[in-house]
Amino acid sequence: MALLKIKNLSVKSGENNKEILKNISLEIDEKSIHVLMGANGSGKSTLAYALMGISRFKVTGGSVIFLNKNITKLSIDQRAKMGMTLAFQEPAIFEGISVQDFLRAGNKKISRKKTEEILSLIGLEPKKFINRYVDQTLSGGERKRIELASVIALKPKLIILDEPDAGLDIIIYRELYGILENIKRETKASILLISHREEVGLIADRATFLRRGKTICSGPFRPVMRKYCQSLKRKEICLKTMPCLKNL
Amino acid sequence: MSQNNALPKKFISSAKKCGFDTALMQAAGVPHFYAESNKILSFQKTAGLEMKAQSFKEGVKIKLIVKKGVKIKKPIFLCFGILKNQGKQIILPEIILEEKAEAKILAHCTFPIAEKITHRMETVMKLGKNSRLSYQEKHYHGENFGAEVLPNFKVLLERGSFFNNEFILDQGSVGKLKINLEMELKKEALVEITNKIVTRGEKDKVEIFDKVLLRGENSKSLIKSRAAAIGGGSVFLQGETVALAKGACGHIDCQEIVIGKKSIAKAIPIVEVCHPEARVTHEASVGKVNQKELETLMTRGLSEEEATDFIVKGVVR
Ligand SMILES: Nc1ncnc2c1ncn2[C@@H]1O[C@H](COP(=O)(O)OP(=O)(O)OP(=O)(O)O)[C@@H](O)[C@H]1O
Ligand SMILES: [Mg+2]
Repeated sequence: MALLKIKNLSVKSGENNKEILKNISLEIDEKSIHVLMGANGSGKSTLAYALMGISRFKVTGGSVIFLNKNITKLSIDQRAKMGMTLAFQEPAIFEGISVQDFLRAGNKKISRKKTEEILSLIGLEPKKFINRYVDQTLSGGERKRIELASVIALKPKLIILDEPDAGLDIIIYRELYGILENIKRETKASILLISHREEVGLIADRATFLRRGKTICSGPFRPVMRKYCQSLKRKEICLKTMPCLKNL
Repeated sequence: MSQNNALPKKFISSAKKCGFDTALMQAAGVPHFYAESNKILSFQKTAGLEMKAQSFKEGVKIKLIVKKGVKIKKPIFLCFGILKNQGKQIILPEIILEEKAEAKILAHCTFPIAEKITHRMETVMKLGKNSRLSYQEKHYHGENFGAEVLPNFKVLLERGSFFNNEFILDQGSVGKLKINLEMELKKEALVEITNKIVTRGEKDKVEIFDKVLLRGENSKSLIKSRAAAIGGGSVFLQGETVALAKGACGHIDCQEIVIGKKSIAKAIPIVEVCHPEARVTHEASVGKVNQKELETLMTRGLSEEEATDFIVKGVVR
């Protein structure tokens, strides 16, 4: 069954009325990792924000169905309360807020033990981090991990991740994919994963390819990835860096 | 003058509200000085800490001296206030750290049912060479906007001394608060000044003037202010740093959040540099809560009000 259905969604910028997404349609299955790919400026982040109801973007047509409910007109927090959440590409920093408080912000009932387990899951030593502040003293990678921890703490059904692998070095993003698989396994959530890396093929179930605000194709990961690579004329690079994609 | 550590209940409950360790405040042997209106309630000296106090018609005069080379391990608690709904109190503290002395002072000023109260404080501090002082002052002015509180500080930091100074008013109403702080730093002295203020209503008016004079070579200062003007209150913050010597270095960092109609926040940084090898910088942000922080918390299920509240608590914590 589809967890999220996007039907013919069109989105304009709230600032200058420019149309950014045109007739986007795709479905995200339960307990799956769905990759959203496309060149810079193709509309991936915009789609993520529009799904989450962020008001900088106006939906001008189509609908978003989550858990069989039309959520197109709901506010951000209403969507979050239904079990949908988003981790930003560049996470915000919070002066004076400890990691513990941040993880509890959206789930007051969570125990200290559970928050520590989540920190371990995303690869941060709980004792070292639980009382740190979510401010500029964290490194970029640490902040990104805490963003992941914070969305896991909500026990969501759908996690939208905007380039969690950007700006990480090769070892760390491979570790990240392991973490994402763990999240999927342990929380039984689906993940909509925005990524530019071919290596997401290691964990992806399905994918959607966007170009200039339109869906080019959506379906099982490999054929979609193949189309994306062809469009970039980068098939050889793909195959070299990703032996597991040889059968594309 | 009693020497046992007996704090009135109203002092304790207000200290608790402000996050003090009230068990420690009342523990035997903890150095302290507590006064209500012009009455000295209790005090406790400790080895290397001299304390002389005297009350007069409108208040209390107190002199603390931490002797040369002495490190006071336990915090020194100071508590001043008026427990009636009206009255006047003048506190004249003189705090001296001799050479290489170290201390941490936790001060609480409270007017828990203030309706018509004036509290003036003229603090003089001298930090001797290579001494270290951490001074935190937390206020509670009740819930009725009925306090007028006017603390003034004059501080001299001798060569190589370090001063961490924090002023916090984040519970209840403010009433009228006007702080005047002046500091002078000698060679290699270092100061960090922090102000954290939250207003609640239209009658709350805050004015803070912090002035740092970096007179000695390589002296350094940071003035950090965090305020939230809420419920129609107004906050005015002026941070001034004057650098006069080689290697002197100062920074002013001011962040004020404005929430609700009629609330006003204003910030004026003044930077003056009189030496080609000195440098002073400033940054200020005044206005609504950061949109991205707000959206992040909303994606975690907090409503806009809950998210705003959460952010403000962090900023002024
Ligand atoms: N608020 C806005 N107002 C106007 N145009 C916008 C706005 N936000 C995004 N756009 C434009 O919409 C297009 C899609 O942007 P978006 O950020 O969704 O791309 P993206 O696929 O996430 O790119 P990247 O890979 O660089 O992150 C871009 O051309 C961008 O300039
Ligand atoms: Mg993007």
